[in-house]
Amino acid sequence: MSNTQDQREQKLEAMLQSRRVEPVSPDLAERIVRKAQHLPQNQTVPLTQWVRGLFTEFHLPRPAYVLVSTLIFGFVVGFTIPQYTTTADDADLIPVQSFLYADEDLL
Amino acid sequence: MVLGRLEKDDHALLALIQAGSHDAFAVLVQRHSERFYRLAYRYVQTRETAEDIVQDAFLKLWEAPGKWQPERNSKFTTWFYRIVVNLCLDWQKKKRPLTLDEKLPLVDERETPDAEMIRTQEQHVLEREIAALPERQRLALNLCFAEGLSNQEAAEVIGVRLKALQSLILRAKATLKERLKAYL
Repeated sequence: MSNTQDQREQKLEAMLQSRRVEPVSPDLAERIVRKAQHLPQNQTVPLTQWVRGLFTEFHLPRPAYVLVSTLIFGFVVGFTIPQYTTTADDADLIPVQSFLYADEDLL
Repeated sequence: MVLGRLEKDDHALLALIQAGSHDAFAVLVQRHSERFYRLAYRYVQTRETAEDIVQDAFLKLWEAPGKWQPERNSKFTTWFYRIVVNLCLDWQKKKRPLTLDEKLPLVDERETPDAEMIRTQEQHVLEREIAALPERQRLALNLCFAEGLSNQEAAEVIGVRLKALQSLILRAKATLKERLKAYL
């Protein structure tokens, strides 16, 4: 009984693994590629993926990325943090009285 | 440049496709079109339709490459199997049900059957019975037996746990054993 079951199981597995498929047309891949050449792409690629693609395209050594990242970081910080420098206009606004006081006492 | 792309893995090619590279797309299509054709053929049973489905799937990928999100999908083939299967199911919904009896010649039992004829008949009946299985059982069989995917990969494609996949295969085989009694 068990032997018959095993044989049936084996025969079924053999049948499943030997299912026939009509051979694919040899030019299928070529046809797909040719059609794609006339189709526009929807550029909805997130920026991160685009950058990753760019990195894949150009195999630069890691130090180059570190250098570029540091420079970009430097520029960003440089432009966002306000500069505390006194302009000529600001200087005019300094009250004259402030020169008349020293150690909180009137001269 | 082209040689370099041939050596690239699928993820690298997809990143290039997202940047608009036709060369990368060509490499990906040449690498995988036959594999996905085989899967589509198991569903639709005609070469033209299976090729159309594979073509549609790849062109969809080309048109909207942003749908591939590497951080979400572990493997390109697993993700793309799902796309091809969905297109096959859409096709089946739109078209009339597959009637293999009309397509494949039946063996005349009065003639002396030779091995080839018996085999053709067996294949024909097997395909008919597989086509009659519930959708997920059929998919599990196709992926594990015909495509040679591991159970884990097949489970990912179908979107079920490993145990559920094993159960799908067991049930499918039990049904087939019952229906193909005469041939086993």
